[in-house]
Amino acid sequence: MDQMTDDNGQENKNGRSEAIIETRNLTKKFGEKLVLDNISLSIEKGKTTTVIGPSGCGKTVLIKHFIVLMRPSEGDVYFRGRRVDNLGERELEHVRMHFGYLFQEGALFDSMTVAENIMFPIQQHHKIANSLEIDEIVKAKLAMVGLDGFQNYYPARLSGGQRKRVALARAIALNPEVILYDEPTTGLDPIRSDIINELILKLERELGVTSVVVTHDMKSAYKVADRIIMLHNGKVIADGDADHIRNHPHPIVQQFIHGQVSDDDLAVLRMTRSAATSQFLPRDFE
Amino acid sequence: MFFIGVRSVPVVMITGAFVGMTLAVQAYDQLAGMGLEEHLGVLINISVVKELGPVLAAVMLAGRIGGALTAELGTMNVTEQIDAVRSMGTDPIRYLVAPRLLASLLLTPVLTIFADLMGVVGGALVSVLQLGINSRAYWNHSAAAVALWDVSIGIAKAFFFGGAIAVMSCYKGFTCKEGAHGVGQACTEAFVDSFISILALDFALAVIFKNIYEIFWPLKSLVN
Repeated sequence: MDQMTDDNGQENKNGRSEAIIETRNLTKKFGEKLVLDNISLSIEKGKTTTVIGPSGCGKTVLIKHFIVLMRPSEGDVYFRGRRVDNLGERELEHVRMHFGYLFQEGALFDSMTVAENIMFPIQQHHKIANSLEIDEIVKAKLAMVGLDGFQNYYPARLSGGQRKRVALARAIALNPEVILYDEPTTGLDPIRSDIINELILKLERELGVTSVVVTHDMKSAYKVADRIIMLHNGKVIADGDADHIRNHPHPIVQQFIHGQVSDDDLAVLRMTRSAATSQFLPRDFE
Repeated sequence: MFFIGVRSVPVVMITGAFVGMTLAVQAYDQLAGMGLEEHLGVLINISVVKELGPVLAAVMLAGRIGGALTAELGTMNVTEQIDAVRSMGTDPIRYLVAPRLLASLLLTPVLTIFADLMGVVGGALVSVLQLGINSRAYWNHSAAAVALWDVSIGIAKAFFFGGAIAVMSCYKGFTCKEGAHGVGQACTEAFVDSFISILALDFALAVIFKNIYEIFWPLKSLVN
């Protein structure tokens, strides 16, 4: 397996690796607001690509285009070389079966139990009548995220982190080829975050799953990514492996990966501090 | 949906009963002035089965079922649950809308029958017990005037109203804006739009059924 990873890595540098997802001149506007600006990139099969960038820079919008939950304003999206952004919903059902999508807030069906949530995609696509067999699959998927025994809980009774892990179990229920993770470690404690990182690596290593991980968490990004893409104002400003990003000369990249606030932001804070603190204090406290 | 249908029975029956009872009280004086109080049942029962039963039952259901559908689908929409259905390769229209539409199409006529029934009973109770109309005359005149056609029109209308409620409510749920305010607004719009479409459909269907009746009326007399 290591040999294969090395070979793939070599292929990547030579630009010969097989692209499973590709965008060409992808532009997305919401009204007048430009969220994605002419993005052309390809996601290599069997690799983990991490998309980083400040909040609101279009990371989630980008991966929603991969699975055509959003349609581009301009440009095309391809899956395995086939254009998918112009397909109808019925045709997209077959494309989407190859994907697992972990939503930012989990998006669990709150009228269903944990087990029913995980069963949902299995029952929709595999006509498995044997309930024992389905129970076994649910148990195995929950065990992978450390939540076996929670089958009969409703999502409302779970904590935010538990909900996210159940959502991950649901995303991998169909053993998809590609998993899109929207902030998988946000809201988890550091140990659970690392378990999710290990799970992403395990899925890649053992099943050859292609992963695209949207994250703010640089520790997670460095750990799981074969390639890191940084978005800023709807454009790709950095693209390469972890070392490439660490040593990237762009000041915004350095500022983001080190979590440093910019001088402009500090200036705004200094301006607002006096107004926010002094103006509304009761006179007795002055 | 079964529960929504069953739980709607009491409110729909109460609506029907009050409509029948109110009609009896309101129309009695006019008819009694002309000595036609024994024909009160004709007026009440025709009004209930053709118009007021289906329309008011549908309005009640627009508030009850329509509001619940929009709130449920709207919340699913803003919490990305509908996107989750799509992301797993399932058509949300087929999975979420189709069963709700079907239930609404089938249940609204059934609930209308309950409203009609209670409207007829309520009207009769007030007419006979409170207003002192001869029971035999009341029912004879009613039976002679209200034909199967009239009842069928009412139930056919209810079928269309049920469709309108489900389509409007599901559409508003699917296009709901973010946040609690968005869901609230979608529910309000769903009810108002359902209400207006019920009234508009009622008018359109009244015209259509009248024309159909006029086409078949001469044939009926030939058969008889």
